[in-house]
Amino acid sequence: MGTTDGHAGFRLPSIHAAHAFFTEQPNPTTQSVFTDNWTRLILSYARHRRLFVIRVEDAEVAGGDWDEILRNERINRRVLPSYLNSLISAMVSRNLAYYEPPKQTRSVILLWRLPEEWADVLHSWGTATGQLNTILTLYEITDPPVPSPLSGIPLSLLRRTITILTRSGRAQLIGVADGEGVRLLTGGK
Amino acid sequence: MALRRYTTVVDGTIPIPALLYNDEELLASQDNVGIYDGYQKAMDHQSGTVHVTTHRLFFMNVRSAATQSFSMDLSHVIRTDHYTGLFKSSPKVTLFLDANSVSNSGNGDDADARFESWECEVCSYRNPPGLSPAAAQVCSLCGVPRNAVPAPTSQTSSGALPTPLASFPTSSTSLPGTPSRSGSPPPHGNGDPESIACSACTFLNHPSLPVCEMCFTPLPVVSQRFGNNNNTRTKSAPSSRPVSPVSAAAVDPANLLIKLSFRKGGEKALYNILKRALKARVWEVSRYRHECGFFCPLIAVEFAREGRSERFRGMANRNVNASVKNTQTELSDAFQDLEALMVKARDLVQLAAELNEKLNASSTIANTPGSASPTGSIFAVTSLAPSAEPEEAKFIRSSLSQLGLQMTNAPVTPDMIRDERRWIGELARELAGILQGTSDDTPGQKPSGIMRQRGIVGLDEVWGGWNRARGVALIPPSTFLQTLQFLPDCTSPPIYNRTFKSGLRVLHTPPYTHASFTARLLGHLMLSEVLTTSQVAQEEKITISLTAEMIEAVEVDGVVCRDDERSAIRGGGSGSGSELRWTLNMFEEYVWDGQTFD
Repeated sequence: MGTTDGHAGFRLPSIHAAHAFFTEQPNPTTQSVFTDNWTRLILSYARHRRLFVIRVEDAEVAGGDWDEILRNERINRRVLPSYLNSLISAMVSRNLAYYEPPKQTRSVILLWRLPEEWADVLHSWGTATGQLNTILTLYEITDPPVPSPLSGIPLSLLRRTITILTRSGRAQLIGVADGEGVRLLTGGK
Repeated sequence: MALRRYTTVVDGTIPIPALLYNDEELLASQDNVGIYDGYQKAMDHQSGTVHVTTHRLFFMNVRSAATQSFSMDLSHVIRTDHYTGLFKSSPKVTLFLDANSVSNSGNGDDADARFESWECEVCSYRNPPGLSPAAAQVCSLCGVPRNAVPAPTSQTSSGALPTPLASFPTSSTSLPGTPSRSGSPPPHGNGDPESIACSACTFLNHPSLPVCEMCFTPLPVVSQRFGNNNNTRTKSAPSSRPVSPVSAAAVDPANLLIKLSFRKGGEKALYNILKRALKARVWEVSRYRHECGFFCPLIAVEFAREGRSERFRGMANRNVNASVKNTQTELSDAFQDLEALMVKARDLVQLAAELNEKLNASSTIANTPGSASPTGSIFAVTSLAPSAEPEEAKFIRSSLSQLGLQMTNAPVTPDMIRDERRWIGELARELAGILQGTSDDTPGQKPSGIMRQRGIVGLDEVWGGWNRARGVALIPPSTFLQTLQFLPDCTSPPIYNRTFKSGLRVLHTPPYTHASFTARLLGHLMLSEVLTTSQVAQEEKITISLTAEMIEAVEVDGVVCRDDERSAIRGGGSGSGSELRWTLNMFEEYVWDGQTFD
């Protein structure tokens, strides 16, 4: 077993080449090791490719963004949807993902950065681009003209981020005519 | 129809004892009984009391006792049936009646004749009235049939005389029973110009004509008339139409039955008594008794004809007495033999019981020191050391077994051993013999047992095999499970009992304990990295399902992990057809070696 580089420049861990890694283990100790490694693998890959969402469907249908992780053609193994589902629920219970939309268990938003980390990223981005004290629409943050670390961030995750900034007094949520706006403040820190 | 044909009307107001024959006995009574004539309810006989006697069945109607009561001879009954009743249907007793027998008491004259006293033709003894019909047919003193002299048949007179003893079997048929009931034989001569009705055109023909004068249909033969009472009777009636032979004969035999419906129960006791009465056949016994001495009456007939009856009387009496005496002595001899045998048997049983007690006493004495030991181990008590047994006891035991009273491989049964614990212990030893083969087998033969060749066997198989080997006094599963805890002490190598997660229970030898199997499995995996369940099973020479159970037990420890072929992209099985592949679990110490971000 050795590490391999995926076609998108992602270095796959050696455990991804083990057959047993793709089977859910009845032994809880063994399975917790596997879950740890799967969580890390999924989050790393998501961060590498800036993927925010993983669905159970990604294990059911080939050809999606996640094929490189969920399938290993070289050893003829793939993650079964039921296994992915239990991995997802394990990640949710560890606060590394949350169900989006809520009240279902087949699709999650991955927190490869925790909301607190995202808050720091947002604030520092605002500081760096000199947009403190100006009112920004949420759209201006998720889809800025110049690509930013926040590009493509899902709205639900952005709202959580802003909520955290609001609590620490570093942002203010403002209702505007056509939606919501946010004003980043210099804040405490 | 069955009711009318077989029963006689009696006056129900007369108390039962007054209706009985002198040799008849009342056996049982039951009230609240209804009668079914065939399959239909007999409307006039729906409530009454049934009395069963040795000869007859009485029905005393409650409503109109004087006119609607009847009696029926039990001799008509050929079969009985019992129906226990269901919901509202009362329990019933069905009496199937003989289609060939006709009630001998259809008209009042016969019944009256029976109660007359008569004088025997042979011995001049005046027979008292009141005997049952069968008994009344023969003289109670000399045993000569009542009508033997006036109507002797040629068969009896010629055939029986030279060899009186050999004539016994035929005598029953030659007994003039039914036809001569009316007291005097029917007119025999042909002086009676009785005309015969043609069965086709109903013309009344002269009796001497063989065919009908009108239509040439063959006429019934004249001689038949003698044996058929009904025929003569119908012919004597002024009728212009032919009558079918007998109206009763047209009745379907299946309908010839009477049902007693017990509205208020009591059917069981009555049915039993009825069955006993039918079995006893008292009416026939009395007839038989007279037939025994029948050869004498035949001789008597001859003598009587020649007018020498006076001389014969004493002789006949002597012969009757001698034959009765013979029968009695033979019977009493047989009973004496039987009694003697029973006495001996009781002695034998007693002897065996005493012997057994003595043996038990001696063996417990021998074992007392062992039980007093402070270790308190139950096996010190339970194991019956042969050396501790006194010589006498050993001798007795061995002679018992030589007599075939005790087999060496006899199954242990609870009555052989009083103590529960010892019983289980003995069972464990027996089971050990079944599993591993007994060590004291013949030396040339290799000891055989269920687990001689195999190290692990399912509990069900062991249980089945053991009980098959026992053959008698089978062991219930509960006792079997109790026995298992003693098994390791009786076996070498010790055999243990193990329950898998699925509930499967097995017996196994030390090589198949969890620890040693784990060690072996890890060794195999070390060599070949990946093994399927069936490969392991092949390696271990045990069944796949057992292997799966054992590997899964190892998996619980976390030293192996599985690879399910269902997660293959191409090929691979699906559902239960896929196989598990096992590898060593080398992931405990795995350190992330994939992509990292600073």
